[in-house]
Amino acid sequence: MMNCEIFRSTFHADTENAALLAHLRTCDRCLDHAASIDPDVMFRALGGDDLVPPGGIELFVDDVMRQVRVRDTEKKVTAIRHRPVSWTRRLAIAATLATAVTSASLVYRHNSAIPSTMMTGIKRAAIATHPAELVTKPVVATYESESATIVEMPNEQNDDNVKIVMIFDENLPADL
Amino acid sequence: MSRELRLMMPTTPVVEIDDRQLVQTIREGDADAFETLVRRKTTKVYALCYRIIGNAEDAKDISQLVFLKLWENLEKYDAAYAFDTWLYRMVTNVAIDFMRNKQSRDNAVNSTLRLVKTEADAEQGVVVQRKEVENVFNDVSSVLSPKQKTIFIMNQMEDLPSAEIAKILGCRESTVRNHLFNARKAMQQQLQKRYPEYAQLWRSR
Repeated sequence: MMNCEIFRSTFHADTENAALLAHLRTCDRCLDHAASIDPDVMFRALGGDDLVPPGGIELFVDDVMRQVRVRDTEKKVTAIRHRPVSWTRRLAIAATLATAVTSASLVYRHNSAIPSTMMTGIKRAAIATHPAELVTKPVVATYESESATIVEMPNEQNDDNVKIVMIFDENLPADL
Repeated sequence: MSRELRLMMPTTPVVEIDDRQLVQTIREGDADAFETLVRRKTTKVYALCYRIIGNAEDAKDISQLVFLKLWENLEKYDAAYAFDTWLYRMVTNVAIDFMRNKQSRDNAVNSTLRLVKTEADAEQGVVVQRKEVENVFNDVSSVLSPKQKTIFIMNQMEDLPSAEIAKILGCRESTVRNHLFNARKAMQQQLQKRYPEYAQLWRSR
C-alpha cells in the first residue's frame, strides 16, 4: 500500500512506476515534493481515471442508453419505410388502381351518352334553385356567329364607351 | 443451520468478462452488455475528453457522442486489436474534430486565465498543487494544435507509450515523438511568458 513515506523514499526522476504515479495524482504534498526532484512530473499529476462526468456515472450511462434506444428506433422506422413492397401488396395496389380507372371511365362514358337536351334541363334546374334577380339592359348592337353571340351594351358609367359581353353557347336561353 | 450450509456452499466466482467478449455479446444483440461497457469505460473516455477539451460540459457531450458512435460502429471492431486502442482512436478523432471546430470559432479569443497567488505563496515560492497545475495546463496548452495536445495528454497523463499512441492515431512513432517534442517546446515558451514561477519547475526536454 503506497503512502506518502514510501512515495518520498522511492520516487526518482523519470519514474514510470504506476503505483508512484497513481499516488502522485492524488496527493498534493507529494506532488510538490516530486516536482522539486523531477520538474517533468508537474503535468503528469493531472492523469488518472478519477474523473467523473457532471451528474455522475449513472446519469451519464442513462443518457447514453436513452440516446442509443432513440437511434435504434429511428433506424427501425427508416428500415420499415424503405422496405421493398411485397408482390402481394403490389398486386393489390395494381388491382385497386385498375378498378378506379375502369369505374371513372365508365362513369365518363355514361355521362357522355346523356342527350344534350337533358343536360340543358339539368343545368336549368340547377340555376332555378339559386334564382338571381334578372335585369333587362338596353342593347347597343348584337353580332352572331355559329358558336358565339357578341352583345354591345351601354357602360354603367353612362359615358360613350360600350361594354362588350360575349356568349359562346348557343344553347343558353335567349332571355339570359 | 441453513446459514452454515450456505456459507459452506461454493460461491460462484464473479468473473468480469473482458472487453472483447463483451463486444461479442453486444454484437449478438444484448443491449444490457452495451450498458455494462459504457459503465466500464465512462471515466476513461470522459477523462481523456475532459483533458483534451478542458471543459466539463463539452467533455460530457463529446463522451456521449463517442459512445453513440461506438454503438453504431461496433460491427467494424476487429477483435485482433486491443479494444482500448480502438476506443481511444474514436475518442481522439471526435475530440480533435471538436477542438478544430472550436479553435476556428474562438480564434480571436485569448485565454486570460491567470494564476492568483497569495502573498504567503510568493514568500515561500511556488507550492505545486494539482488544481493550480490544471489551470496552468489549460492555459498554456491552448497554444498547441489539437493533435499535439492529444498526444501530450496521452503520453503524460494517460501514460501511453509513443508506440501505442502511434497505433491509436494511425501514424508513425517518429511523428508522435516529433509532436511531443514540439508540444513541450511550445508549452515551455508559454510557461516562461505567462507563468515564469512554473517555468523553472518544468523543463522542456
